[in-house]
Amino acid sequence: MSMAKSLPKGFENAPGAQANVYKVSAAKNASQPTVNFRGRPGGGPGRNMGQTVEHAENVGGTLARLMTYFGKSKRLLVLLLISVVCVTLAGLLAPSLQGSAIDHIAGRAWDQLRSCVILLLVVYLGNVLFTLAQSLLSARLSQSITRMMRHDLFKKMDHLSIRYLDTHSSGDVMSRMTNDVENVSGTISQSLGSLVSGLLTVVGTVTIMFVYCWQLTLITMVTVLLTVLVTKQMSKVMRKVYRKRSAILGQLNGHSEEMITGYKSIVAYNKQQDVIDEFCQTSNELRKVSIKAEILGGSMGPIMNCISNISFVIVAAFGGYFAYTGLITIGTVSAFIIYAKQFSRPINEIAQLYGTIQTAVAGAERVFALLDEPDEDNSGDKELANITGRISFRNVDFSYVPGKQVLFDFDLEVEPGQKIALVGSTGSGKTTVVNLLMRFYPVDKGEILVDGVNIRDIRRDFLRDNIAIVLQDTVLFSNTIENNIKYADLDAPDEAMVRAADMSHIRHYIEKLPKKYDTYLKQAGAGLSHGQRQLMSIARAVLADPKILILDEATSSVDTRTEKKIQDAMVQLMKNRTSLIIAHRLSTIRDADKIVVMDQGRVVEIGSHEELLAKQGKYYELYMTQFAGNRI
Amino acid sequence: MLKYVKKYWVFCLLAPLFMVGEVAMDLLQPDMMADIVDNGVLQSNIDLIISVGIRMILTVLLGGLCGVMCGVFANIAAQGFGNDLRKDVFAKIMHLSFQQTDKISTGSLVTRLTNDVTQVQNTVMMSVRGFVRNCVMFVGGIIMLYRQSPKFALVAACGLPFVALFAVFFLRKTAPLFSVVQKKLDGINHIMQETVAGARVVKAYVREEYELSRFDEANDALCAENLRVQSLLAFMGPCMNIVLNLCVVAVIIVGGWTVRDGGSITPGNTMAAITYLAQILHGVTFMANIFQIFSRARASADRINEVLNSPDVIVDGGHTGIAVEKGSVEFRNVSFSYPGGDGEEVLENISFRVEPGETLGIIGATASGKSTLVHLIPRFYDATEGEVLVDGINVKDYDLETLRDKIAIVLQKAELYSRSIAENISWSKKDATPWEIKKAAEIAQADDFICQKSSGYYTPVTEGGHSLSGGQKQRISIARALVREHEILIFDDSTSALDLKTEASLYKALEAECPDVTKIIIAQRIASIKGADRIAVLDEGGIAAIGSHEELMQSSPIYQDIYRSQLEEGGDKQ
Repeated sequence: MSMAKSLPKGFENAPGAQANVYKVSAAKNASQPTVNFRGRPGGGPGRNMGQTVEHAENVGGTLARLMTYFGKSKRLLVLLLISVVCVTLAGLLAPSLQGSAIDHIAGRAWDQLRSCVILLLVVYLGNVLFTLAQSLLSARLSQSITRMMRHDLFKKMDHLSIRYLDTHSSGDVMSRMTNDVENVSGTISQSLGSLVSGLLTVVGTVTIMFVYCWQLTLITMVTVLLTVLVTKQMSKVMRKVYRKRSAILGQLNGHSEEMITGYKSIVAYNKQQDVIDEFCQTSNELRKVSIKAEILGGSMGPIMNCISNISFVIVAAFGGYFAYTGLITIGTVSAFIIYAKQFSRPINEIAQLYGTIQTAVAGAERVFALLDEPDEDNSGDKELANITGRISFRNVDFSYVPGKQVLFDFDLEVEPGQKIALVGSTGSGKTTVVNLLMRFYPVDKGEILVDGVNIRDIRRDFLRDNIAIVLQDTVLFSNTIENNIKYADLDAPDEAMVRAADMSHIRHYIEKLPKKYDTYLKQAGAGLSHGQRQLMSIARAVLADPKILILDEATSSVDTRTEKKIQDAMVQLMKNRTSLIIAHRLSTIRDADKIVVMDQGRVVEIGSHEELLAKQGKYYELYMTQFAGNRI
Repeated sequence: MLKYVKKYWVFCLLAPLFMVGEVAMDLLQPDMMADIVDNGVLQSNIDLIISVGIRMILTVLLGGLCGVMCGVFANIAAQGFGNDLRKDVFAKIMHLSFQQTDKISTGSLVTRLTNDVTQVQNTVMMSVRGFVRNCVMFVGGIIMLYRQSPKFALVAACGLPFVALFAVFFLRKTAPLFSVVQKKLDGINHIMQETVAGARVVKAYVREEYELSRFDEANDALCAENLRVQSLLAFMGPCMNIVLNLCVVAVIIVGGWTVRDGGSITPGNTMAAITYLAQILHGVTFMANIFQIFSRARASADRINEVLNSPDVIVDGGHTGIAVEKGSVEFRNVSFSYPGGDGEEVLENISFRVEPGETLGIIGATASGKSTLVHLIPRFYDATEGEVLVDGINVKDYDLETLRDKIAIVLQKAELYSRSIAENISWSKKDATPWEIKKAAEIAQADDFICQKSSGYYTPVTEGGHSLSGGQKQRISIARALVREHEILIFDDSTSALDLKTEASLYKALEAECPDVTKIIIAQRIASIKGADRIAVLDEGGIAAIGSHEELMQSSPIYQDIYRSQLEEGGDKQ
């Protein structure tokens, strides 16, 4: 049997080089080539892990936009800048005063020493006070900006289209709201101070130094330049190593997260050792790279220290020489030593700031990118006086992704008060119909009318207010049971809530709880069974008291006896209401006024249960599998 | 935790040694500087300036070298330590019992493995370098200061207690606030997560404004708390600085007086003293920060220890031998209640036997104990009372691996991994051939949809399987169970997301391909298990009835009730 030809269907289209994927060894059983899947064939939507050093696209524009946030707290900003200037000035004055104090000691000028010390005390006091003011103000500034930005982001998130949320991972959105915002506001408000004080210090120090002795100043400058150059070279090398490290770290974290979350299956299949081996391999690799990166990073300190000390020695030696020749005084040497240190510090800081600001701006860009996402379509302002609940779908085409059409020429007329059931296999487009009716997505072609008005012309919130929906994936909020049931209307009377709970068969359960309706659902109801969660969200819909009710697989996790009870209650609920029901279980929908059978985005049959059975078509087939006594 | 450091004791010892070298070199400099000032400049001695200058540069270079070496050793120790710890924690997590992972949530386990280990590792690093450095700096600084003049040391001695006092005060004040901030941060994350996850519901009920106000409340609270902490911390630096500055002024005054009175202090001494003073006080401030880091690391270490020290609940029995029977399962008077729960019995006195090759259906209301029952077979949990036997041998006597190799269990929640579909299916059998994989997928009714994908079996499953529908995920995880031969196959409600037609074909294929495998199938729908040899009806933790579909229809009112609720009319016509 030839090997390559005999690969089964579904295996022939390996992305990337096929040769890498199959290791067909002739020595082994020739008819059954072993497959090497480890090679992780390239292509496909893989995750991009190696992203660490970030470069902003449009630094100027983003910074300008950031400044508008800062502009909103102008008073704080001005005060902050004033204190920064004061702190810097005090920092510049102090060494010079210390220097002259030493001079006075050396020159035995006791009176001058006294006034000098008093002045020094005043300068110190000013320094301390303004430093305090600076920290307080910058904390306040960064918090107020964080608050504003987060508020804006959340508001945006609230109004994003479902399409955006479907196509972007929630982790990504979340990380923009927490990490990026905090990073941006913190970094910017802190570096703003550092930047201003750094620049001032450099300019001030250089000026004072020049005034004292320009020869010594030039010598100092050379050493400082040396420092900056070395820093730059080193950080280039470091960035490379660090990038590699974060890539491996990302891999390791991803692996452990996945394995720990999927831990039950690992145990069930006895795969612990394999998984541990794989983890150890990555972990060892991380150790190797980390040591390299950290040694490089850790050497930075001593090397900088070394350079700054060398410059200290050079300044001291030359200063000593100049003092010996009488060019300057001892006190000036002492002041120079301090200035030389003070001078190189802000230069290093500004060099580092460049990197931090880059990252912060990149973060800000992500934040702004989200803020710039278009809001959900909010067109239409009609409000219908008395909604009857007539729904018409006319020739609706729809695709989530261009090119992959999900609904084809969908037509459906629903009379007020009718109960309509949508059935069909997974992926036939049932949920899409609901999504379109809710205006979660706009139709590509055709129109959807409620009471004869195109839903695009109806005010969006008004439309949604009149439709209650119970979803397949139950969503509860970390809040009290009361607030969860009263979600649609927090001011609803308690009787309405109890009635809703009663009708959804959850009242018994809630009232057994010690705190009853005040019970706080931790972690969005994680302690509840899936069935209970579904009942809870049904109660929520019941309380909303809408004209149109949608149940999307709402009872799939409730056991069938309970489901039956809910259905009995629903009969009551559905009176005078139009309802759309999606379910796998045919028993759920048998008594619908109209059953719509869907297949691959098209309506294939419409009719009542009896009519469709008599027709012996697709519905009949579906229905019969239920009773076919499929022997297991 | 210490046990992990021990392995690297040589490095842990070498690093501080070099650190002492670096600091010593740092400390020598102001002294040499004083020498240059007093004996070189003031005495007009150029040669001395040059020779001392060269000595200073050499000292500096030696110091730098020591610093780098210290970094090398400290890193080898810290990274090695972190690596060992991480691996052990991961291995431990993989061997935790279900009840332990239920208690510590998986999210928390991930944080412990990643953040907490890194935190502890950094602390080891910090303490080897920063702690030692500043200790040496502190002690050395005082000695050098004393050498300049005992009077200067006295000044430092007066200032130090205040610095220490401030440090302790601020740490005490802020430490509890940090946990408050963390809690508030969790709160805000929660609201965001919920709103993103529940966007459809928020929109459907037009509650955007409400969610925004809820968020704003949490946001304001967080920012206010953050501001409180930061404001408090803003006082720390200036307070420390006041002390430092006062000390410098005192040194100048003391130096001045002594020089005036013809004492033993020189201007050079005074200059050096100012530098030493700054070094000492800087050291103290740093120590204050280190303690903060220590207390945070302590919390991390505790959380890691909780994992590492958790006892092995499921004890390996060691029996690897061949059993007489093949594929039988028996429950003898089994009762079970979740450990740490309220003691309520989830299962009560359950007894039944499944013969090799038999198919047992299990049906019952939500929370009637169905899942728990089957979890006792591969020992995910141990029965509180009674015994569970597989192939006639108590499961507790088995070697765990041997036992679990006999059983394939498809869990309610399909856990897939971010690799290709083929790799996910061959998960339990690494060397599975493409034919075996395809065969398993065919039985699981997954082949069709997999082949429809452009990359076929090589289609990558994205994280958590978001790219697949619920039914597709379930079918892939069923294929995973089938790729390898097992004696016993357990479906824990694993076909709930399949439509009836697909489900029916799956069971048909399963029956045809694996007739000898013992099957235990939990289901919600009667149609799923109607054809089983026997069906057990579970009700409130006990077996209400057991028998074939026909028998149960005759004898069990609960079963009849379930049947009516699902099939009602029409069903009997067949």
